[in-house]
Amino acid sequence: MSKVPALELNDIHKTFGDAEVLKGISLKAYDGDVISILGSSGSGKSTFLRCINLLENPTKGEILFNGEKLGLEHGKGPDLYPTDMGQLTRMRQQVGFVFQSFNLWPHMTILENVMEGPLNVLKRPKKEVLEYCEHLLNKVGIADKKHMYPSQLSGGQQQRVAIARTLAMDPQVILFDEPTSALDPELVGEVLGVMRGLADEGRTMLIVTHEMNFAKEVSSEVVFLHQGLVEEKGTPQKVFEAPESERCKAFISSTF
Amino acid sequence: MDFSVVVEYFPKLMQGTWVSLQLIALSVVLGGIFALPIALARISKNPLVSGLPFAYIFFFRGTPLLVQIFLVYYGASQFEVVRESFLWPILREPFWCAIIAFTLNTSAYTAEIFRGAIQAIPVGEVEACKVVGMTKVQMYRRILLPRAFGIVLPAYGNEIILMLKGSALASTITILDLTGMARTIIARTYTPIEIFLAAGVIYLAISMVVIAIFKQVEKRQNRYLGPNPVKLPDDV
Repeated sequence: MSKVPALELNDIHKTFGDAEVLKGISLKAYDGDVISILGSSGSGKSTFLRCINLLENPTKGEILFNGEKLGLEHGKGPDLYPTDMGQLTRMRQQVGFVFQSFNLWPHMTILENVMEGPLNVLKRPKKEVLEYCEHLLNKVGIADKKHMYPSQLSGGQQQRVAIARTLAMDPQVILFDEPTSALDPELVGEVLGVMRGLADEGRTMLIVTHEMNFAKEVSSEVVFLHQGLVEEKGTPQKVFEAPESERCKAFISSTF
Repeated sequence: MDFSVVVEYFPKLMQGTWVSLQLIALSVVLGGIFALPIALARISKNPLVSGLPFAYIFFFRGTPLLVQIFLVYYGASQFEVVRESFLWPILREPFWCAIIAFTLNTSAYTAEIFRGAIQAIPVGEVEACKVVGMTKVQMYRRILLPRAFGIVLPAYGNEIILMLKGSALASTITILDLTGMARTIIARTYTPIEIFLAAGVIYLAISMVVIAIFKQVEKRQNRYLGPNPVKLPDDV
């Protein structure tokens, strides 16, 4: 394990109007870490995840990627904006993000969706990209549907494609924002199966999820957020079996 | 009624039709080319960038096309600078005045249609572009514009039909388009019903072709939406 965290967040704050959603959250993810972020709705877990690659602009805090600090400055209003778009773009290319609602590009086929990033953003040679993307689609079990459009796939299949699309960029860290929350119960398993495989490969992942059993089995660390603050953190054994905080205890017992 | 005049003057009507088609084709193509940058500027959050296109669209959507034609045709020649400029050979021709007025008008409408389409793209698809680290240019070129093109088609087809009908106004500045030609023939033959009916049928035929073309393009462009993208009430 390297000394420098792959991803380091310091004292992240976020306000929407008068509402302070994040009140100073810090987190370090080293290579190979699988960190699950839990919390009831409104605890700020999705907002926190979206602040990491600036889908949401934090109002205060520091973001470091491999020790390199992302330049942020105040614009109009309370939000922080990147000082150098190029730096943010470079960081985003190495930090994957999987959405709750998949967000595949509907006018492109499955294969085109997956190839888009490496081919047109990273400008890798087409032959190599095609080979790699077909391999990835194989891995998530969608190879036979590669020429179909997203609208022709089930939710679980679309999410697996979205994961393949993220993997195609060879990201160092992958952020998952409630990847199974928009799925029918019987489709959740197939997506979790793919994610479990990634964890076993040693991928660095931050996962916002409601799937407690999954979080318990896969995570190296669990963080429980409550009202914009870290209420409890530690190994899954500690957080799930011997939580110190009352709120965390109540949350865990209500979800099992 | 005696439709033999229609047969007799059919070649003349066809001449007028040809002029109408030129007017429409040129102004739609030029208008479409201008519309894209206008729409992109209009979307900008910077008021210095979006202000001018806003005023442009406001003016051309808020005033009658006929007034715009008159402004270009009668207005431009009022200025000595214009009469002496190298543009005069163009601005002196009614045909080009009509093209200019139509292009300005249709580019304003089309820009507004483009803007609506780009802004109708779900936020999530745009975020998906951001998280793979696309630059703004890549985002527009690869995702937003191709997506907007599919969304824009029905409204854009409508705009072309409106332009087709609006082109009849060219006849007010001495252009012998289909309507202008029909009026000239009627002045000679005193058969308004026959000739105007014939002109109407020709306009209808052109509309039908435009509609049919757009239906095909839409089908192709939006094939990814599946066979029945729009649910009608009776499907439920």
